[in-house]
Order: sequence, then C-alpha cells, then structure tokens
Amino acid sequence: MHYRVVLVEHDPGMLSTLAGVIRAEPTFDLAATYSDPQAALGQSGVLRPNLFLIDVDDWANLELLPKFVSQFAKGQVLGLMERWNADKAEAVLAAGARGSILKPFQPHDVLDALSLYERRGHNLSARTVAFFSPKGRSGSTTTAAVLAIELAKKSGEAVALIDADLQFGDLAMFFDVVPTHNVVEATHDVRLLTPATLEPYFHEIGNGLWLLAGPNRPEHAELVEAQRLIDVVRMAGSLFRYVIIDLPAGFNPISLALAEFADTDILITMLNSGQEVYHMKRSIKLFNTWETYGKKIYSLFSRVNPCTPEQQRKIEAEFGREVTGILPNERRMTAIAGSGRLMQDLSDKMPLVSSIGSLAADMVAARR
Amino acid sequence: MEEHKNIIIAVFSTEAGCGKTVTAINLAAGLAKEGYSVCLVDLDLQFGDVMGYLDMVSGVNLEDAHEAMQRHPDKFRVEDYLVEYSRGGISFAVLPPPAEIQDAYLIDVATTEAIIRELADFNFIILDTTAVFSALNLAMLDMATVICYLGVMDFLPAVKNYKVGYDTLIRFQYEESKISLIENRSDSEKFIRSRDVERLLGEKFYHRLPNDYPAVAKSIRLGQPLMFSSPLSPLTQSYWQLVGRYTNRYIPPKQPKAEKEPAPQLPFSWLMGIGSDWQLAGKA
Repeated sequence: MHYRVVLVEHDPGMLSTLAGVIRAEPTFDLAATYSDPQAALGQSGVLRPNLFLIDVDDWANLELLPKFVSQFAKGQVLGLMERWNADKAEAVLAAGARGSILKPFQPHDVLDALSLYERRGHNLSARTVAFFSPKGRSGSTTTAAVLAIELAKKSGEAVALIDADLQFGDLAMFFDVVPTHNVVEATHDVRLLTPATLEPYFHEIGNGLWLLAGPNRPEHAELVEAQRLIDVVRMAGSLFRYVIIDLPAGFNPISLALAEFADTDILITMLNSGQEVYHMKRSIKLFNTWETYGKKIYSLFSRVNPCTPEQQRKIEAEFGREVTGILPNERRMTAIAGSGRLMQDLSDKMPLVSSIGSLAADMVAARR
Repeated sequence: MEEHKNIIIAVFSTEAGCGKTVTAINLAAGLAKEGYSVCLVDLDLQFGDVMGYLDMVSGVNLEDAHEAMQRHPDKFRVEDYLVEYSRGGISFAVLPPPAEIQDAYLIDVATTEAIIRELADFNFIILDTTAVFSALNLAMLDMATVICYLGVMDFLPAVKNYKVGYDTLIRFQYEESKISLIENRSDSEKFIRSRDVERLLGEKFYHRLPNDYPAVAKSIRLGQPLMFSSPLSPLTQSYWQLVGRYTNRYIPPKQPKAEKEPAPQLPFSWLMGIGSDWQLAGKA
C-alpha cells in the first residue's frame, strides 16, 4: 500500500521533523503540509491524498476531524498527539478517524498503527461492556466469554476480554491459553504505553478475540489501582471495537470504578437458592442512578429453568423491573469451559449460545 | 464445656457458591445441638444470606454493633446486637450483616476484630466469610482457631482456585494444621477425582460432604438447618460427623465413601483437553 500523506501540524519545528520522516520513507509520498487545518480541508482535494496525519493536541483541530472524515471518505485519518491523552484519543475515534499515534514518529509507527487500527474494525468509538454480579457464581465469566466470541463472530471486528476478577480470574483457563502478560503488568505500565505498545499485553486467542488475563497470584490484585485499570480499558478501546470486562463479585473499588466507567453494564446472577433476585434488587439501586445519565444497564438471569417467557415475567414481577434476558442452563458448559475448549466446542444450536448470540447481534446492530 | 471456649471456625473458600453459608449454618446448628453455646457471624457484608437461609429478620446488625463499639467501646455489650435462632430445642446466636449494601463500607477491620473478641464467652464462633482475600477476611482468618476451607471440585477452574487459595494460605503462613480442607458435593457426578485433587494439593481432605441438592434447597426454602428439614439426608449425617470432629466427639472410623464406583469416568487426560471430544461426556 502506498500512502499519499497530508500532514497538519501547528508547530513549525515539529512539522519539518515529521515531514522529513515521511519524505525519507518510500511507502509514503508527502502530498502537502499545513499548519492550518482549514486550509488543508479546502485545498487537499486536488492532491488526492489517502492518509491524513492531523495534530489533535489542539481541540480546535479535533472539531474539524469529522469534516476530514466525511470529505475524504476513501482516505484514512490519524490523530497526532505529543503525549497519550485518553480523552483526545476517544474524541478522535468518535469523529470517525482511524485512531491516534504519538509524535514525533518513525515510519513504522504509522504503518503499525494503520494495520492495528484496520484490524480493530469500523471507525467508531469502542463499546465497553462490564459484567457485574452481586455474589459470584453467577455465570458471569461464561457469559462474558461467550458474548465476546459472538461479538467477534457477528461483527468481524476485534474484541478484547479483560479479566478484572483479579484474585481468581478463570478466563485464561476457559480458553486453555497461558498468556505471558497479565492485567497487573498492563496497569503498572500503562502510563508509559501507547496502543501499539499495549497490544502485546493481550494474548491472541484467535477468531478476532484477545485476552488480557488476570494475575497468577491473588495477592497481586492489590497492585492494581482502579484508575490505571480504567486507563488500560480506555487505551484498549483504540485497539479493539469491543472491550468486555469480567469484574470480581460484589461492590469493591475495582468493580465499582469499572462498572461506572463502562458504557454498558451487564448485571448477572444465577438463579439458585432463591435469594438472588433479592440481591439483584438491592444492587440495581446503585446502577439506576447511572442509567439516568445514559449508561446502558442490562440485567440477565442465568440457569433459568424452565427458560420460558412466563418464567421471565415471574422474575420481572419479583425483580420489579424489566429483565433484559434469561439464559437457560447448558450442562455441557462445565465440561467445555473446564477443559478450555470454549473457542472450539460452542455450537449455535445450544440454547445458551443462541441467547447470548442474539444479545451480541443487538449490540452489533446498534453500530456504536 | 470448659475445654471449648472461644473457638473460632472461619468458613472460607476461593470460589463463590460452594456452600459456605450452608456449612456455617449447619455447623452452628450441630454444635448447638451438642450443647455448646454458638454464635454465627455473617461476614458477607454486602450480600449475606444467613438471615435469608434461616428465615429470620432482625432490627439490629453488625453495623449497629460497629457504631456502638466505635462510640463507646467501654459500654459495648455484644448481646444487644445478636438475634437468637431457636428451633426444636436448640438455639444459637446470630450476628446479622449490615442491612444496606452501602453500610458495608462503614465497617472497618479493627472494629470488627474487637466485636469478634467480645464474643469470647461463646464456646464456638462461626464466621461465614466471602470468597476473596480481603483485609477483613484475612483478619478473620488470623483470629480463627480453625479455617474450614471449602471447595467444590467439579470444575477445573474451581480446582485451580482451590489450589491457588491453599497455596496462598500457606504462603501467608497459616499453619497447615489450622486449615481443614473440606470437599463439598464430593459425590456429585463429576470428571475430577478427589484423589487427583489431593495429589495436586499435596494434602488429604479433612472431610468430605456429599451432594444433596434437594435437601439443601428444602432447607433454604423452609428456613431451617438440615437437621430439621432433612434429618435423614446423608449430607445432614456428614455435617453431624464434621461437628463431631471439631468437638472431638469421636474419631470416625474412616472417610465417608467419596465416589460412586464405578461412576462413568473419563480419563484425566480428557479433562486436560487432550484426546477425544466433549461429546463423549454426554454419552458416558
């Protein structure tokens, strides 16, 4: 692929440095440089560029990004920033651009970012989904894993699973993988990273799915600060279109902060002793306040037997609000997850998989 | 009863939903039946189930005790915050968890330790914890005479978490003799043999509790310990034996039969994902 590049940068020194880098790389052809984005927008058409590198340290430039995206639909737009800024990176994605990189850069930084961001999927904001369960033993890890698989399958985009159950996370076992890095390392290093350098912390499971595994020792959980974990999730949003977070049970600093941050919270509980609906009722009070400012709250009940609409209505009557979905029991799941064959052995014919699959289809159809 | 005073049994696990609360309740009931004074403390501060499982309500709870202890430690009387469960001639005290989830945040570890110390006049104090190494749980495990470490070995990740939890307890320098390894649902249909788990742990199970899901469901539905709701269940008998071991009532001649033989077993290698495909499980 050959790129005809338009470079927009307000600082003259930086502009000449970056222009030099681009000129030196045969893959790139420098079409024009601008310090004023308005001028770039007006004049670039005649130059037939297919790659825009636009300084986004200035919020005014950021506001013009959607215009670049719509005016040059066949081109790609990358934001340039001096230091990684999650707010700006998210604004770049929201504007429909490919993503952001740091400046000054080397040619391979641009090429790596382009290939990572292409793998990510549509140029849309990332969707972050947190799984919260009041008491544990809720089927949340299973449901999170199956949802991730289904999202990847149905969207064709990149999906990340983050095991934030920091003491006893099981996701690596569900997929029978032995990751070399984990969430503790990622949160420790995140302030020094960019999407391209964060990417290797994720273990590629295949079929569009990546995993950031939990630590090996429960006491390492203490090393994770909620804010830094949020930084990891936000940066992961530049690499993956969907970021699924499996939280530890109950309200604790990690689960609260991440549930508050995520744009979608899935409250899930397994029907077992009969007390669970009561616990869900107590938990949802807190989520209700978040819902009022736009967060999506889904409530799921797992291992519902019989899994019928009447049963759902019964649960709803007890729960006192609408239930997003009820999930049937799948006896084979213990054997499949326990033997690490989640990626191989799930079948769309399983009622559990098709229920979660339709939830994934709704999320994909929402295109956000 | 003098030789049994202030014995703290912490019921702990590293996997949610493996029977901690049911075990805590039935230990409390069994010890009470033996004539000991018992206090059951629900330390699942957010989602405690002791009160629900015993069909009790209470106007007082740990949060009230906590507040009183912080305000006037000298005037603190723990009895004011206990409720009594009583049925069929036995009774034991319960210290309920806070009523609201947000109240759980107010509970600090040092004050809780002080409250537990105030329970010293009981023969046995049973602590029902949560499946996490939290500051509170670790403080309670420190105070405990016995850690009743419960696990269900029906799922490889659960076995991993049991092993990781046990190794962590040892690494945190809890004495092995203080930890009693208890396997719950030991005879349920499963692919993992207790013997293999014991080999993995390098330690034998102290006790095995058989599976009796209907009995437990009935016990919860009726709000009664198993000895009342299902007196003849093998699980009830097994809890009674466990109580006997903690009170030195007798030494059982041998372990209860742990596994149905010849139960349909797949080779362990299958479990590790080597070899035949999962559909065999359905056929076996």
